[in-house]
This record gives sequence, C-alpha cells and structure tokens, in this order.
Amino acid sequence: MAAIEVENLSKVFRISKKDPGLGGAVKALFGPRYEDKAAVNGISFAVNAGEMVGYIGVNGAGKSTTIKMLTGILLPTSGQARVLGRDPHRQRVANAREVGVVFGQRSQLWWDLALIESLDLVGKIYEVEPARYRQLLHQFSEMLELGELLRVPIRNMSLGQKMRAELAATLIHEPKVVYLDEPTIGLDLIVKERIREFIKQQNRERQTTVILTTHDLGDIEELCRRVIIIDAGKLIYDGPISTIKERFGKYREITFETGGRSGAVDLPPGAEPVGADSAARKLTLRFDRTVTTASRVAASVMDQIEVLDFSLAEPDLSSIIKQIYSGALREQIAEEMPA
Amino acid sequence: MIRYLSLYREFLIQRFKILMEYRVNFIIGSTSTIFVQAAGLLTIWVVMRQIPSLNGWSFDEVLMIYGLVTLAKSINHMFADNLWTIGWYYVRSGGFDRFLVRPIDPLFHLLADRFCHDGIGNFLVGAALVVKSSVSLGLVWTPLKVLYLVSAVLSGGAIFMALNLITATSAFWLMESIPVTQVIFNTHEFAKYPLSIYHKGISLILTWLIPYGFASFYPASYLLGRDVGAMAWLGPVVAAMLLAISYRVWLVGLRHYSGTGS
Amino acid sequence: MMRRLRRTLAIYGSVASMTPKTFLAYSIWVWVEFFLQIMAMIIFVYFWRAVYAGGGALNGLSLRQTLNYILLAQIILPLAQTRAVFRFGFIIREGQLIIELLRPLDFQAAEYADSIARLGLYLLLKLPLVVIAWLFFGLQLPANPAVWGAFAVALVLGHAVLFFFDWAYACLAFYTTETWGLSVVREGVAAFFSGALVPLAFMPGWLQGVANALPFAQGLYVPISILSGIAPLSDVPRLWLVQIIWLVSMLAASRLIFRVAVRTVTVQGG
Repeated sequence: MAAIEVENLSKVFRISKKDPGLGGAVKALFGPRYEDKAAVNGISFAVNAGEMVGYIGVNGAGKSTTIKMLTGILLPTSGQARVLGRDPHRQRVANAREVGVVFGQRSQLWWDLALIESLDLVGKIYEVEPARYRQLLHQFSEMLELGELLRVPIRNMSLGQKMRAELAATLIHEPKVVYLDEPTIGLDLIVKERIREFIKQQNRERQTTVILTTHDLGDIEELCRRVIIIDAGKLIYDGPISTIKERFGKYREITFETGGRSGAVDLPPGAEPVGADSAARKLTLRFDRTVTTASRVAASVMDQIEVLDFSLAEPDLSSIIKQIYSGALREQIAEEMPA
Repeated sequence: MIRYLSLYREFLIQRFKILMEYRVNFIIGSTSTIFVQAAGLLTIWVVMRQIPSLNGWSFDEVLMIYGLVTLAKSINHMFADNLWTIGWYYVRSGGFDRFLVRPIDPLFHLLADRFCHDGIGNFLVGAALVVKSSVSLGLVWTPLKVLYLVSAVLSGGAIFMALNLITATSAFWLMESIPVTQVIFNTHEFAKYPLSIYHKGISLILTWLIPYGFASFYPASYLLGRDVGAMAWLGPVVAAMLLAISYRVWLVGLRHYSGTGS
Repeated sequence: MMRRLRRTLAIYGSVASMTPKTFLAYSIWVWVEFFLQIMAMIIFVYFWRAVYAGGGALNGLSLRQTLNYILLAQIILPLAQTRAVFRFGFIIREGQLIIELLRPLDFQAAEYADSIARLGLYLLLKLPLVVIAWLFFGLQLPANPAVWGAFAVALVLGHAVLFFFDWAYACLAFYTTETWGLSVVREGVAAFFSGALVPLAFMPGWLQGVANALPFAQGLYVPISILSGIAPLSDVPRLWLVQIIWLVSMLAASRLIFRVAVRTVTVQGG
C-alpha cells in the first residue's frame, strides 16, 4: 500500500517585484507587480509503506516546499498529495497525529526546558498512552544514549545532542510517516552513525516510512535504496540508487600499481591522469565510460608499462549528484528516464 | 475542551519550571509593571486631591475605572502575550510551522506556549484598585455584583485579546505585527478615565469600534450605581462577538499563510 | 593638540553620522510613535480640560500654562526613555562586549556621540508633532529667542544627565537578562518623576523632594518649564548650575559602576 501519493503536485508563489530604491518602493505601493514562481512544478511519485526514500536537490529546488505540502503546512496550487490516504491540509490534525517532522536546524523543543520535560509535553500533545510512553522513552534513551541528557535544557546542548533529542521527540508518538530534513548536518561521524542506525532500526521495527532530504549522500547511501531528485521544481529522477550509479556514473577511476618507473604514458582517447605518485608507484586515471571501457584503458596502459595490480573504483554517488546538479546530465536523464 | 484545559495545565506547569529557573527575572518581570501603573495612579492622585471631581467622578470612582481596565489588560497580558511576538518570533523564523505539524489547534498552541508572568503585576494592581475603591466608597458586594465583576473582567480581557488577535494576524502578511498591534492596543489608555470627559466622537469609537469602554467605563458605572442603561449589560455580548470576528480574521490569516508559507 | 582634537571629533562624528541611517531603516516605528504621541496628546488635553472644568488656576498654573507644559513634555518624553538597558542587554547576550571595548575609541564616548545624534534627529522628526499641537491643541511657543537658547542648553545638559544615569543603571543588565523588566521599571519611575505626566508644581512637598533627588526632572521638567514659561529666564542660571552638578556626578558614577560591572562579567568569562 502506498503511504504517500503525490500526483501532479505544484506550488506557485506570487512574488511582488520591486524596483530598487525609493522610487521603486513608491511605485510598488501604487501599482504592485507580481511574478509567479513555481517552486514545485507538476511532481508525481508514490512511496510505499515502510520505504525509505532520499529526496534530494540543490537549495531552492523545491524540497522543503514539497515537504510543507505533505505535512499540510502549505496548500498545493494544483495537483494532489495524499498521506496515509488523507489530504494533509484539509485533514491536518488527523494527519499530524501520524506523521513526524524534523525541520533541520529549527528545534521543536522548548529552549529552556530540560529534555525530559519537553518530551513529556510532546507526549501529552500527541496523547501517547503513558505506559507506552515510558516504554518508548526507555528504548530511545538507550538507542540514542540520552540518559544524562534528559535533565539538560535544550539551550545547553551541543548540535549532536540537540539532533538526538529532536529525533526522540519526533518519534515518541510512533508516527507512520517521518520527514527528516537534514538530520545529520554539521554532526561528527560517530553521531551521524548513531542517528542513521536509529532511523534504520525504527524503520525495521515499525515499518516507518521515511522521506529524507539531505545534502549528505552518506545518509542516502546508508539508508535509502531509492532516491528522488528534483531540480528547479521538476522531478528529474526517481529510481534506485544503483541505477544512477550504473547509468550516470559517466566517469570512473582506475588505479594502477606499477612495477618500476611510471613516466609518460600515451593514454587512450577518453582517459586522463588524475594523479601519479612515483614514490608509491601509483598511477590513477579517470576515463569517460561513454567513450571507452575499463578493459581498453587497462590494456593500453599495460602495453606500455609494467603493472603489478590495478583496481577499479566504484562510481561515487556524490560526484554523480554533483554532475546532475551542475546540469551536465540533465538532458541525458531526460533521454534515458523511462517516461 | 477538557483535553485542551488539561493540556493548558501541562504547558503552564512547564512554563513555571522555566520561570523558577530565572527567579530574579521572574520577580523583576512580574513587579515591573507596578511601577508604570504607579506613575499613572500617582498622577491622578496628585491632580485630583486638588479638585472636587473629574467631570463628576470622585477620585475613588476613577480608581474603579482604572482598576477594571487594568484587570482586563492583565488577563490578556498573562494568557495571550504571545500574540505580540507572532511576527518576529514565529512567522519570520519559520517556527510557526511547528504549530501546524502538531495535532492541536495552532492558535491554542501559540497562546499556551508562553504564559506571561509580566502580567501578574498588572493583575495585582488592578485587584488592589478595585478593593481600595470599593472599601473607600463603602460598596456592598452582593453575589450578583461579584459575578458581574468577574464577568466584566473576563469580557474586558476577551476584548483585549480579540483586538490583539485581529492586529496580530497581520503578521501573516507583514511578517511584523507589533506596530499595528501597538497603535490599536494603546487606545485602551483612553479607557482609564471616564469616557464622559471626551468628545462624543471619541467615546463612540471606544464603544462601538475599539470597544475598550466595555472593559472599564460601562461596568464601573454599573458597579458604582450610575445609570448607563443597557450598556451595563452589553459587555459580554460585545466581547463574544469580537472574539468570533477575530477568530474569523485569524482563520483568513492562516489560510493566507498556507498559501504562501512565508 | 588642536589637530588631535579635530581628528578625535571626526572619528566620533562619523560614529554619529551612522545613527540616522540605522534609525530610518526602522521608519515604521517613527510612524507608530507619531500616532501614539498624538493619541496621548488627545487624552491629556481632555483630561486637563476636565480637571480645570471648575475654572481658575491650580498651583499658580492656568489651564493654558499647564496644557502648554504637558504638550511639550509629551513631545519630548520619548527622549527621556532609556536605550542603554536594551543596548547593554544585547551586547552581553551576543557576547559583543569585548569587541566594543577593543575598538580604538572610548566606548562611552562613542555611545554618547550616537545618543546626541539621536537627539538632533529626534527633534527634527518631532517638528510635525509641534505643528499639530499648535494647530489643534492650542500649543503656544515663546517668541523670545533667549528662551529658546536657554531651553536648548538645558535640553543638552539634561540629556547628558540622563545618558550617564542610564549608563550606570543599565549595568544591571550585566547581572540579569530581564532587560524588559528593567526598562519598564525605569520608564515607570521616570514618567512620573521627570514631570512628563504632571508638572512638579502639582505635587505635594514630599513628592517634589523625591523628584528633585532623582535625575529624571533634569532631563525633562527643567528644559520644558523653561520653554513653556513656567520657569522665568532669571531662574535659568541656577537651573543650569544644578544640571551641571548632576552631570558631573552622574558622569563619575557611570564610569565607576561600569568598570566594576565589566570586571565582574569578564571574570565570569562573558
């Protein structure tokens, strides 16, 4: 069953345009001019219950506008969103009971209250049954190592502590759908790891549906099998991560361990050197998969110098995404995406 | 309804825990308004001890008017002070979104989020004035009159809240609503004195347009045994109507917010 | 010597010239204050008319004299309000104290330059209000230029007295974060004892004693009573002298208290 269904969803904002300076301000007062800007433009997708999906795009691509429509904060201009079969705006309260949201840097906890008191209040707001609440609190405390933190006011917490607190508060009412906006931004690796582990466990145990928007591709690779990429309000990719890697990993790296000297080598077309380290006797090349193949590059190099070993790097998601963002692959995706 | 009351209790308990943590602030904040009230009251005393009456109102009678409007204001100050900050604290920062993803009414959440202790001082001053005035004048408090007083203060508080809610809603368009709120709110200063000292137009405005008159002059007149006809009983009706109107305005603001999200 | 003085003045001058720019950025507040002050004037005019309904003079002041005084006091009143409390509170909260103290100018002198620039700008902004009070509420202004000169001197002196008093008072913000309450207390006390709500002549002896023991009357009552004609020109030298005594003692007190407060805060690592 689909937990989230989005059909042809659009959100158009009306922005008033002002000429610079005092004259502009006066003119705007008497004859305001508006410009329509589609923040989200005809997006459709469906997410199954229990799925974890990465929702990515550059800043201003329309990610948070989409999330705001899915949580009922914003009303779509056209199209439809359904979460657990409901219209999230019209049935806002019913929807709110079953979803949880982490808004990146904005805390939903009370700044001056100790964490345990914030959690108690959140529990009361969501009417979590007291026995169940205690059980979950105990479980979360262990998973997120909240023990000592429960007595600390939010204002005295570090970034990582805050995020752990935030996650506990977001999941304490066992939402069926969770939106996580940048849950690991600015955190060190150990905390990141713990948070990812916690999200995974929640998903496993309760079949929680997770929509994850992030700039950290580590999060995506770790948690999601599927990604949705949007750019300028339009959906440009929806599918498994593995497919992107295969299809759009245009460049791959190949590293040779050389026997002796690694001087000048005539490279086959489509390949270029990335780095040569004669002391470590290593030669790294990058080649364009659409022009040549790994075996052709390898054969060419081995013809010229002595090679002890060579390795082929897996295509790195972040470099692929970077290419997508920079627009290099936009046409290619448009061609290759099944309509 | 019961759920919201018990939820309000929870918010209140947590709020007091915070306030107790900053005890010095709590004391300064809740007593500070007493100084402002004292300035206004000293002025009235200093002036009125030299004249027999202000437009036929004795010093103690003026204190009743002043006391009632101060009590009404304190209700608003304690329970609805967050209406002032909705613009810069909640809407501009995006913090308002938090209220919309919770399964309770966003207006309730906004108001419950911060009980304001600064209003306690006003409440104490208002109560003291009503007591002083009625003792000096030898008023007899029948149960009906006590009930009338309570309903007058609550209606007055509701009038303050409703007017602030209407002006605060402008935050959904302007981001910042304090200037608009301030201008309308300050008209309550007129209601500290008998409306009869003003030009007819002013007292009409304070009765039918910005009806702070029902938070002070009319109920005080009734309690002091002065005849103001049906005006003595209209307070709760005016308050209820104004609350209904302000809630409609608020809903329009919410709808605008869900359209623009800004 | 002269060159150094000129350079120093130029530096503080440039600090002061920043003030109007930041001020005008909040122009909405100029309008709000404008409306609020007109509203306050209307209330006071009706209030005092009702007070004088019996006719005659009270405490030697006619209705005309009292109204003249009150209208002028209401126009000047916001000048007597404190800014330092919020400023210090902000500086402490944002951890900017060290930055301010490290600048190559005297912090207090720079703030004073800012404050005096505000005074000038403020008077300019209040001109429409004076016109309105003259047109609708019968405000009368003195014709004698000597009165205007005496008023101007008393205003600048009184402004300085309040500036240095507030400087010392605002040091409380170093110890408590409740700046709103601190400023409300200050406004409440000042509103009455500065004579903004009622001329000091109306007060019984003991209250006048309190008012004279506090600095607020120096900033408002003294200049306004000169301008409104309550205080005769012959009295002006004595009034100035009292203001100067206040000024010197407040200046000394403010610097001492500030130094102690900064030491406490910096010891705590603020």
